[in-house]
Order: sequence, then structure tokens, then C-alpha cells
Amino acid sequence: MGDREQKAGDFDQAEARTAAAGPRAVPSLVDGEHHPVDRRTVKVARIIGFSVVLLISIVPLILFTIGWAVGAVPGPVYLSVLGIWLLLLASSLLIAYRWPAARHRHLRYLVEEDGLCIRRGVFWRTVIWIPITRVQHTDVSQGPVQRRLGLGTLTVHTAGTAGASISLAGLEQGIASRLSHHLRPARATDAN
Amino acid sequence: MPTEVRRLHRWSAPFIAAGTIRVLMLPIIGAVLASGGVLLSRLDLLSVLFVVPACVYAFITQRVYTYRFTEHELVVRDGLLTRNVRHVSYERIHNVALVRNPIHRMLGVATARVETAAGGKPEALLRVISLEAAEELRRYTLGEERTAASTDSAETTGEATPTLQIPDRELVRLGLISNRGFLVVATFLGAASQGQWWDQDWFTEQDWSGIFAGVQARAPGWVGWLFDSQTVVSKVFLGLAVLLLLLVVIRVLSMAWYLVRYRGFTLHQQGEDLRADYGLWPAVSSVIPAHRIQLVTISASLLHRWFRRASIDVETAGSTDSDSGLGAASGTASTRQWLAPIIEIERAHELVRKVLPEVALDGLEWKPIEARAARRIVNRIAIAVTPITLGIAALFTLAPIPVSGWQALWLPPVVLTTAWLAARQWVRRTGYSLSECAIYFRSGWIGRQVTAVRFVNMQTVSMNQSPFDHRKRMASVAVDTAGAGSTGHRIHIPFLDVAVAEGILSRLYEETRRTEFRW
Repeated sequence: MGDREQKAGDFDQAEARTAAAGPRAVPSLVDGEHHPVDRRTVKVARIIGFSVVLLISIVPLILFTIGWAVGAVPGPVYLSVLGIWLLLLASSLLIAYRWPAARHRHLRYLVEEDGLCIRRGVFWRTVIWIPITRVQHTDVSQGPVQRRLGLGTLTVHTAGTAGASISLAGLEQGIASRLSHHLRPARATDAN
Repeated sequence: MPTEVRRLHRWSAPFIAAGTIRVLMLPIIGAVLASGGVLLSRLDLLSVLFVVPACVYAFITQRVYTYRFTEHELVVRDGLLTRNVRHVSYERIHNVALVRNPIHRMLGVATARVETAAGGKPEALLRVISLEAAEELRRYTLGEERTAASTDSAETTGEATPTLQIPDRELVRLGLISNRGFLVVATFLGAASQGQWWDQDWFTEQDWSGIFAGVQARAPGWVGWLFDSQTVVSKVFLGLAVLLLLLVVIRVLSMAWYLVRYRGFTLHQQGEDLRADYGLWPAVSSVIPAHRIQLVTISASLLHRWFRRASIDVETAGSTDSDSGLGAASGTASTRQWLAPIIEIERAHELVRKVLPEVALDGLEWKPIEARAARRIVNRIAIAVTPITLGIAALFTLAPIPVSGWQALWLPPVVLTTAWLAARQWVRRTGYSLSECAIYFRSGWIGRQVTAVRFVNMQTVSMNQSPFDHRKRMASVAVDTAGAGSTGHRIHIPFLDVAVAEGILSRLYEETRRTEFRW
């Protein structure tokens, strides 16, 4: 509950900032263009990807090093394991570096007066249309890395099953809040 | 006008206890098995561990569980230490299912489950209340107009002709069509292999050859020949006879199962909703809110079609499987339920139209999927067949049998020709149709299914492309609905040309954009 209030607080602040910028200063979201999300989201994904890869790979390295130091693992075996480990690490890091960029390249969103369209997918591609008439509620959330860069994730909830919650990560926080406001069902948009 | 506080029926405690023990059954069985059956002899321990807590819980629940009706909502209070007050608005309630097994009926009570669109667990589980209380519950929760409608229909129930009534001979036919019997046999075998309760020693100690000899002596000559002679023909005959016997047994079990579960299946129109009553054990009376039906599917297997029958099922948002309290408790229940387990093909469309007037399944203009899809299906199978062929070839070569590995090369042409023929049939019979207010998708060759979703019930629409789709300029279109189960036929149109798929997508978006979703 407290968490939700916290989020709402952030959200209100973002809202206030966009309001302070003045309505004319902000271009309309509905511009008929397929926008990419903020480029910095690639950085976020890379930071997270690198941390995960390093965290996972460091454990076997430490174990083997201890084994070698104690004498349980013979030198040649240790060296070959080290080689394989380096190879795996290098390829994982390469993927962690390249994949976010590819994903970013293939992610586009289009805002319509009465809906949102998201296309995404590098190999398996999806185009999904979410009409405002089917939006139940929306969330805007921020992870710790996202917060430092001023990015946010918009999640749209529908009454559906497979598409019960659809997330769009890596939006600039201000845009995420405005989009969330834009997508909320009629009585919420009246306030705008 | 708020009513006074209502309590559960005075016979509630045993039902609550039984329900709890039923949920605990799995851990109990687990504990007994883990102890190697020792626990069975320690009934005192078992009861202290499971039965006593269940009973205490039941008595407390019976005391503290209360509910009352206010103007707009049902207010349920529960809990001794952790108190819980739940407000359920009548508007959100869309099903009040009553479950009654023979014991319920003996005592004139029912378990009532109040369900909303939220899905998963029922919003309130009243275990148990009297029939009058159940009637009151339905009257309050199902709203003013529906109250009027339901009292109306209650007065005229005697004369009103039900929308659908399934006679026993249809259920027998259904048993013949379906494979339920396998499930009964499997359950029995599973139980038999677990427990010690059926005496294997007795089985092995029987003088089986003596019994056979006795049978032979009494049976006519040709039976004796079957058992005596060692020719291949007699063995084949014997095998076939056993198989036939097994099939007959399974079919008979199927019929029995359907007669018990669906005996007297009747569908009544009740206001705007439908009410299905069926079953000897348990006897189920469930309201299917017609306007909360999200999706309707008509299925016909090969056997169905031989009998000129089909089955109709619907998915309602949030409602849980109406005939099992357990499923609802675990929150994994399917939202699919029968509108008609069996119905004449000619009447199926009529029934669907009666329930969902906008959905007209006859006279649809079906549009095909891409004909070149057949080639892709065969390609997929070819990819699967190659390693299998190589594997079999290797097996034949290595195994000490007088069959050459080259024999395995017969496999690909045979499989692929069959696949090609089947795929072409499948592609020819798979298609979609768009009407004024609904989208339809049909698929299947041997077993066929048609699913319809009204535009108002669509949530999000999407177009998907696998890497292969992308290479062949194809795509699939999927429609998401509320309360979709993980299994079952739904709107997912594969193998469309990209341009066609995009056309369908924008049309569907247009339809969802300008219609409101109603619960």
C-alpha cells in the first residue's frame, strides 16, 4: 500500500512538472509517428545485462580458483576451464551488449487519439493494438537504474488474458506519465 | 434497505470441515505414502493432525461468518483473529452458483459461490446456506431487473419450455463419442497402483489356467479353438477380441460417467441469463450470464459428425468452473463451460443465436488462409521427420534384426505424402469471417471447431510473425478476450498474407475503438 502511494507521489510530481512546462511547450503525443523509446534504455538494459552476466559467471570462477588453490583441481584442467570461462563470458557480454540495441531498434510505439499501438520483437515480431475503451488501469513504475536516468515503464492493464498487462519500458518519465494519463478511461482523461 | 445480518446454516460446520479435509486430502495421502502406510494404523495421529484442526476451523467459521445485503452490495464478514470485511457490489457479481450433492439435498441446503469478473477465487463462498437463503442471495445479487425476470420465470418455470434439454439417450451417445472412459480407467489404475487396498496376492494366487479351462469347457467349440490352436490367426482374433472388449468397457464407463454428471441437463432462459441444471452427483445449478460470455466454440470430432452432433462451450469472464468447489479454491479452474455437451448440428447454430443474438454462424462468408500454408506445414513435418528417419535407420542397422537400415527410407515419403494430403485438407477448412459485430475463426479437418467472439468482447488485438512467417511474408492475427483459459479453441488465425493480416488488424482495432467493453 505504501509502495503504491510512493509511486502515486512520484507520478504526481512528474505530472506537476509537465503541467509547469505549459501545455504549448509539450508537443502532442498523438502525432501519427512510430516513436522509438528513449535511447538511454539501451544503456539501462546493458548495465543490467552486464551485472547479471558478471554475477552469474563469477561464482564458478571463484569456486574453481579455490579448488585450484587448494590443489583439488590440477593446473592444466584449471587453465582449460579458465579458457572456456573467458570464451563464455566474452560471448555473453557481447550478447548483453548487442541485444538491447537490437531490441530498441525493433521497438516502436504509436499513440492514437483513442489507443496505443506497440510493435516489437527482433525475431518474433508482434504488433499489438490497445484501444482506450479496453484499458482498465495504468501503472508507471521506475527501477533504480531507470530513476537515475529519468526513465520509466508504462504498464497498461486490460481485462484480457494474454494481454492482461502490457509494458512499455524505457519511456522518458514525463512521457510515460502523460501517456498513462492519455490512456486512462474516459472519466480520468476528463481532468486533462 | 440493509437487511439484518445473515448467518450460515446450522449444519454448516460438517460441510466446512469436509471441504477443508478435501483440500487437505493431498497432504494426507502424501503423509500416509511417505510413512509407508504406517500412518494408516495410527488413525489417532492422523485425526489430531488433520481432522481436529479442520473441525475446529469449521466451528469457528460457522460462528463468525456472516453476510448481509445493503442497497448496492453484499457485505461479508469473516475471521476470528484476522477480521475481514468484504464489500462486493451487486453490479460486479455475475454468477451465483449453487452446488448440491446428495447430502446437501438430504438436508435441504446448498453451497453458494458468489463469483465476479475478477476470476480465480469466488468473491464469497457460502458453505452452506438453506435453499430459501440461496434464493434470497440470488434475488439480491443478481440485480433488480434480473430479480423481476427470475421471479417471473420462477412462477412460470413449470410451463416455460427450456432452451435446451438433453435426454438420456443423447448422453449415452455422448458417452459413445467421447473418451471419458479412458479417464475413469486411468484414475482407477492410478489408484490401484498406489494403494495396498487391492490385494495383488489374491490376483496372482488365482488359478487362471483353471478358470480358462472352465470357460473353454462350457463355451462353444470355436472359442476352444481360439484358445487351443497356436496359429497366428487365432492369436490375432484373440487380441482383437480383447481390444474390442476393452473398448466396449471404456465406452460403457464413458456413458455411465456422462449419465451421472450430466443427467437431466437443462438450460433455462432466466432474464437475460441462462441457467444450467444438471447432474446426479453432484447436482449443479449454475447461472451462465449471457452478456458475460466472451467466446463461444462449437466443436465436432469425427465421431460427433458421424452422429450429426456437436458440442458447444462458452467462456465467461471471471466465472470459475461451476461444478467443483475445489477448483475454485485453488484458483486454477477453467472458465470454459458447456452450453451444450451434445446437440444436433442443425440446432447448434440456433442455440448460439438464441444465447448471443449477434452471433450468426450460418450463412457466413468464410475467407481462407493462404494456400501456400500447406507447404509450410509439410516443411515443419519434414524437419521433424529427418532426424527420426536417421534414428530409425541407425537402430535397424545396429540392432540384431534382419532388417536393413535402408528400410527406414520408406518413412519420409509415406509420412510426407500423408502430411501433404492432410495439410491441404486442413488449410482448405481453416478460415475466418468478419460480420457486423463478431469475428469467427474455424479450423480443423478431422476434428473441426468454430469460435466466435463479439467485437465488444475483444480486448487487445495483435499480429504476430515468426521468423519463418517473416520470410514468407505471412503473419497471424490473435484476439485476446477476458477470462481466456489456457486451453481450448480461440481466435488465432495463422498463415495470413501480411497485407491481409494488417487489414484484419486495423478493422478489428477500429471495432474495439468504437465499442465499449461491458462486463
